[in-house]
Amino acid sequence: MTDLLIGALSFPVLLCLIFLRVPIGLAMFTAGFAGLCLVNGSTLVAVARLKSETYTTFSSYSLSIIPMFLLMGHFATLGGMSQALFKAAENWLGHRKGGVAMAAVGACAGFGAICGSSLATAATMSRVALPEMKRYGYSGGFASATLAAGGTLGILIPPSVVLVIYAILTEQNIAKLFLAAFVPGIIAALGYVIVISIYVRLFPESAGTRPRMPYIERFKAVFDVWPVLVVFSLVVGGIYLGWFTPTEGAAVGALGTGVIALIAGGLTRETLGESFYVTAKSTAMIFFIVLGAAFYNGFLALTQVPQELAAWVVEQGLSPWIVLVLILIFYLVLGCLMDSLSMILLTVPIFWPIMMGLDFSFVTMAELHSAKLDTALSDAMVAWDGLLRGSIPSLSEAKFTKLFDESTLHMATLGLGTIADAGALTQDQIVAIVNKTTPEIVQEATNVIASGGELSRELLREVGIRGANEGALSRINVEQTAIWFGILVLIVVEVGLITPPVGMNLFIINAMDRSTPMIETYKAVIFFVVSDLFRVVLLVLFPAITLFLIPWY
Amino acid sequence: MYSYFRKLSRAVAYLGGLMLTVLIVMTCISIVGRSLNGILHSDAVVAMAPVLSHWLLDLGIGPVNGDFELVEAGVAFAIFAFLPLCQITGGHASVDIFTSRLSPRADRILQMLIDVLFACVLVLVAMQLFGGMLSKLRSGQTSFQLEFPVWWGYALCMFGATMAAIVSVYIAVMRVFGVMQGVDQLPEMEGADH
Repeated sequence: MTDLLIGALSFPVLLCLIFLRVPIGLAMFTAGFAGLCLVNGSTLVAVARLKSETYTTFSSYSLSIIPMFLLMGHFATLGGMSQALFKAAENWLGHRKGGVAMAAVGACAGFGAICGSSLATAATMSRVALPEMKRYGYSGGFASATLAAGGTLGILIPPSVVLVIYAILTEQNIAKLFLAAFVPGIIAALGYVIVISIYVRLFPESAGTRPRMPYIERFKAVFDVWPVLVVFSLVVGGIYLGWFTPTEGAAVGALGTGVIALIAGGLTRETLGESFYVTAKSTAMIFFIVLGAAFYNGFLALTQVPQELAAWVVEQGLSPWIVLVLILIFYLVLGCLMDSLSMILLTVPIFWPIMMGLDFSFVTMAELHSAKLDTALSDAMVAWDGLLRGSIPSLSEAKFTKLFDESTLHMATLGLGTIADAGALTQDQIVAIVNKTTPEIVQEATNVIASGGELSRELLREVGIRGANEGALSRINVEQTAIWFGILVLIVVEVGLITPPVGMNLFIINAMDRSTPMIETYKAVIFFVVSDLFRVVLLVLFPAITLFLIPWY
Repeated sequence: MYSYFRKLSRAVAYLGGLMLTVLIVMTCISIVGRSLNGILHSDAVVAMAPVLSHWLLDLGIGPVNGDFELVEAGVAFAIFAFLPLCQITGGHASVDIFTSRLSPRADRILQMLIDVLFACVLVLVAMQLFGGMLSKLRSGQTSFQLEFPVWWGYALCMFGATMAAIVSVYIAVMRVFGVMQGVDQLPEMEGADH
């Protein structure tokens, strides 16, 4: 058997193990271990790898964000933030048709902003909102379905544990992924609100309304959610602005929510123990899967399967869009059977090399040149200002003198006088002086860009643009693809949380409301699933929705 | 016996939780220290209160030295310490739709095979971690910044890894008895939270 064949066969074997109820981390570990033994012809290498692999996997700085986010989510529950959020949303929306359900979705979105896990969001918000929805005459199935769907916002709206894992697997910037997830998360919440308003019109008997609240009450309730806002802005804003690393952000968030819970009186010795208990269980589960995945993916990479598969897909010359749609459908199907994190760890190492090889042309060479030209022009203007003032902070004195002398000389050549008595120069002339070229060439470059063309190599050199080659363009496009694909995958795997038969969110909520038969929840949740699918189509068709916040230059 | 192991696993998990809390607090102190250090070094402060700024900086206000390494070593300890609890509560994620209609006997046999496999893996993990510790001890490798011996980190993890191995062997043995006697020997597990 060739290595490639062993690698290719390992996947169906692994799936069989998983479907035989072998815990997913254990199944991946076993498949990876057995595969390594087969490829090497002995157990020596695989066993030796274990000497350091467990420790290095678990002692990862970037992965330490996960237990911290989990603990943060639990502290947020204890701090009464879920109640505050729900109350605020209810005061504003409760009097509308289906308003209490909409409020539940809004509160879930708010809670998602301080909690990185869907299950925790669903469980926490159910505790607050389920009794309230029952009180206002909502049918059990509709109420549970709303909360199950709302819970998925926990992972969609940053911070998000699954996104952290995706970022690490694809070596992408966590802050950028968080930012990219934000708008799709808001769209998700809006989509659910629309679903609710349609549902209550189709089935008017399934929901009641609540009396309208005076505005003073409404604003008072909004004021009460300040801790959520503070924690969210500090964590996500701080990570994004580069104040701290994502791990540090998670630590700040965990300490912040912990302190808030302590002040609110929700954090006692007993609940602290409970927080540790829940965090310990989830963390151990996640890290065992991470370990299994590290082992399995290490083995797969050795057999060259992901590379060969990616090359094969590119060879087929399929449209990138078809490949993407097939992958997303695969996730939707698998999502009905498996939890999101395991799915990501199992499949992203296989699918990402494929996606990386596809060209979606988010950014064209002409756009790259245009952006680079803009930068070059404004850089030149800044440099010119510096020349006039007599210093440029980024240049040493010697370098500045050199630039000054050269520019003076060049001005003379162009017949534009000297720096000291420079009259009203046009932008083209200034750029020409700083870059030692002629105003005509600068003008030509601007014209080419204005007509949507690409600059020739010579023009690029003349106006002082560097790093505008194929390599740079492909790096930009790979990053854009990674972010867009990550958000799409995040959404499709989350759909799995609310699809029968094993939607975990459905179970969690059903366990809290035994009086509602599962089938009633299934019937109502279909509407939310449709909204999810609709959103996936929207985001696939318009990548800009995901990417417009992410600067690529 | 089961409740004894459960209590033990819970206690070990609490230790991990405490370690996690310590790391969180330390990281936050480090951030505060780093920001203060930046402020004290800033031109404005140095110009206005040179003595004070110098004095405070001399006190060592700044990021916690080697915080990165401490988080890495500490979180590894915490995760190993979390493992026994996950074992004893059946907290690992699995797919249970194709096997839910098995006969009780077949179900017990399947569960036994899974738990025996798990025990083998965790015992192997613990043994190899020990091997890894010995080789780090021999090589005398130290961490980059604080220069503490890397084997210390391994040694800390041995605690959780050993407990996890013991708990998983206990579960496996109970499952084997269960199959032999045709009666479940362990109460139903809590299952995974996902």
